[in-house]
Amino acid sequence: MTRTQRLNPAWFLVAPLLALVAVMFAGPLVNILWLSFTDPEPGIANYAALIEKASLQKLLWTTLRVCLITTVLSVVLGYSIAYAMANVAESSRQRMMLFILISFWISVLVRTFSWIMLLGRNGLLNNGLIELGLISEPIAFVRNELGVLIGMVHYMIPYAVLPILAAMQGIDGRVLQASRNLGASPAQTFWRVYLPLTKPGVIAGALLVFILSLGFYVTPAILGGGKVLMVAEYISVQVLITLKWGTAAMLAVLMLGSVLGLLYVLSRFMKLSAALGGGRT
Amino acid sequence: MQDKQFMRETVTEAAHAFRAGRLDRRSFLALCGMAGVALPSVLAGRAEAAAGEIVMWNWGGQSEECHGSAIGAPFTAETGIPLKFDTSGPLQGKIKEMVDSGNVTADVCDADLFDAVALGATGHLEPIDYAVVSKDKTLPGYALEFGTSIILYGYAFMYDTEAYPDGAPTSWTDFFDVAKFPGMRSLYKWANGSLEAALMADGVARDALYPLDLDRALARITAIKDSTIYWGSGSEAHDMIVNGEVSMGMVWQNRGRNIEQETNGRYKMVMNGAIAMPGAYIVPKGNAGGVEAVMKFIAVSQSVDAQLGLFSCLGMTPTNSEAVAMLSAEDAPYAITSEANMAVIALNDPTWWGQNTDAAVNAFLEAIS
Repeated sequence: MTRTQRLNPAWFLVAPLLALVAVMFAGPLVNILWLSFTDPEPGIANYAALIEKASLQKLLWTTLRVCLITTVLSVVLGYSIAYAMANVAESSRQRMMLFILISFWISVLVRTFSWIMLLGRNGLLNNGLIELGLISEPIAFVRNELGVLIGMVHYMIPYAVLPILAAMQGIDGRVLQASRNLGASPAQTFWRVYLPLTKPGVIAGALLVFILSLGFYVTPAILGGGKVLMVAEYISVQVLITLKWGTAAMLAVLMLGSVLGLLYVLSRFMKLSAALGGGRT
Repeated sequence: MQDKQFMRETVTEAAHAFRAGRLDRRSFLALCGMAGVALPSVLAGRAEAAAGEIVMWNWGGQSEECHGSAIGAPFTAETGIPLKFDTSGPLQGKIKEMVDSGNVTADVCDADLFDAVALGATGHLEPIDYAVVSKDKTLPGYALEFGTSIILYGYAFMYDTEAYPDGAPTSWTDFFDVAKFPGMRSLYKWANGSLEAALMADGVARDALYPLDLDRALARITAIKDSTIYWGSGSEAHDMIVNGEVSMGMVWQNRGRNIEQETNGRYKMVMNGAIAMPGAYIVPKGNAGGVEAVMKFIAVSQSVDAQLGLFSCLGMTPTNSEAVAMLSAEDAPYAITSEANMAVIALNDPTWWGQNTDAAVNAFLEAIS
C-alpha cells in the first residue's frame, strides 16, 4: 500500500472551491498581468512610463508618503491604546474592545462624511473655535492631505491595536518583575524588555496598516478635496474614464507585487493567520 | 449598487466558466444560490437584457424614476415593450468592458455625447438609425453617427450672496479672481467643464474654446489651486455648497435650481458662461433587445412630452427646440438652451472631448494633485 501516494480524499471536497478560486480569482489576475504588457501595444512601455513620467512618480510618492505617515501614527496611537487595554481590569478591557470594534465596523463612507461634518470649514470644531474667539478664520482640517491622514489613521487604528494587544497579552508579567528586580528603571524595563517582546505585534500591525492603506480610495478622494491623488483612485480613473487600461493594469500589478512582498516580510515575523485573525484575542 | 453588480458579474463569469467546462455544475449552482440569481436567466447566457425588453443603463437614484415615467411609460404604451433599468452608471470603461466580454446586458446607455465619439471610433457602439430617430429634434451638431443628444445638462457656478454683499460675481473671470472675490471655490475634478471655465476666465470667447488650449487652462486653474477644492460627483458638489464649504462652487446646472430653493436663495446660480453638455443615448454593439426596438425607444425620448417630463423631473434641458419653446417664463431661465441663455452659454464640443479625454483628464489630475 503506497498510502502516501494516494490523494487525500479531502481534496475532492476542496476541489470545487479551488476551481472557483482558479476561475474567478487567478484568471482575472493573469488577465491583468497580461494587459499590463499588451495594452495599448505589446512591450514594456507601461512599465517604462514609471521612469519617464513625473506624474506617475508624484502619484506613487504621494501614495507612499500618505501610507507611511498613516502607518506610523496608527501604530504609535494603537500601541498606547493597546497598552492601556492590556493593563486595565477585564471589564474595562471588554468595554474598550467594544469601542474599538464599533469604530471598526462603521462604513468608511459614513466616517468620511462625518469628518467633514465635524472638521469642515463650517463644521462643529471650526464653528466652536470661532464662537470661543480662539480663531478668526476656519482652519482647513479637511479637503487636504491633513484631512486624508486624519480619516485614514482613524480607520486604521483598530488594525494596529488588535495584533499589538495580542502580543502584549502574551507577555508573562513576571519577566517585567524580574527586570525591575534586577535593578532596571521603569523606562529601561519598557525599552529593553517590554518593547522588544511586543515587536512582532508592532511589525504585524504596521504591515497590516500599510498594506490596507495602499488600496485606500474613498477617504483620499473625499477628504483630500481632489488634491491628494492616490493610486487606487488613479487606477479607477484610468479604467473607467480615460480607458488607459494598460496603465491601470501596470499600477495594479505594481500594487499587488508590493503587497505580496510585504506579506512575505510579514510571514517571516509571525504566522499570517495570527495577524489576520487577531481580532479574537 | 456595487454589490449587486459584483454579484451579477460573478455569476455571469461563472456561467461562462460552467459552459466552457471550467467550473463544475454543483459549485456553479451553489454560487448562483449565494448570489441570489434566478438560474434560467443566467443559463440563457444573459443576466438581464433579452429580446422583447429594453434595458436602460443609467445612474440610478431619481433618474430611474424619471426615465421610467417620462420615457418608459409612453414607450411601453406604444410598443408593448417593457423598460428595465441597470443603475450602475455607464462609464466608458464599463461599456467597453461589456461589449468586449460579449455579454451585452444593456440596450441603451444614458451617457455623454463624447462617449459616442470615443466608443464609436473603437467599434463598441451601434450606429443611430436616423430613419427612425430625428436629427431635427436635437441641436445642430449633436446628432452624431453613434449617438444623439436627448437632453442637456451642464456646468454653471453658484455663489454665496452673503459672502459678496458689495457686488456679486457675474462671470468665470470673477470666479477665478480670488483677490476681488475671496473665498473657497469648487471645481469638477475630472477636467470637463473646469477647463472651459478657466479659458473663458482667461478671455477666450465662449464660441472659440475648441480645440482647448490645455496649458493655458491649467495655468489658470493652478493659479487658484490653494483656494479650490474639487468634487467628483454631483452630490458632493451639492454638499460643498449647502454645507458652506465654498463661497463659489461649480455645480451641475440642472441641480442649481434645487440648491437655490434648498438654501432659500442664499446661493444663486450664474448662467453667464455656463457650459452646456450634451447627454446622449448610445447603444452598445450587439444589444440583446435588438437595434430596431432601441431606435424606437430613442425616438420616443425625443418627443415633446418625454422631454418636458425629464425637465420637470430631473431639471435636464430638452434638446427638442419645440419642447424648449413650451417652457413657462418661470422655467425658461433654468433651461440651459433657452433663448436668453443661448446668448451667454458655451456649447461643449463632443468630438474634441471624445478624442482628447485621456490627455485632458490626466493633465488636469496632475495639475491639481
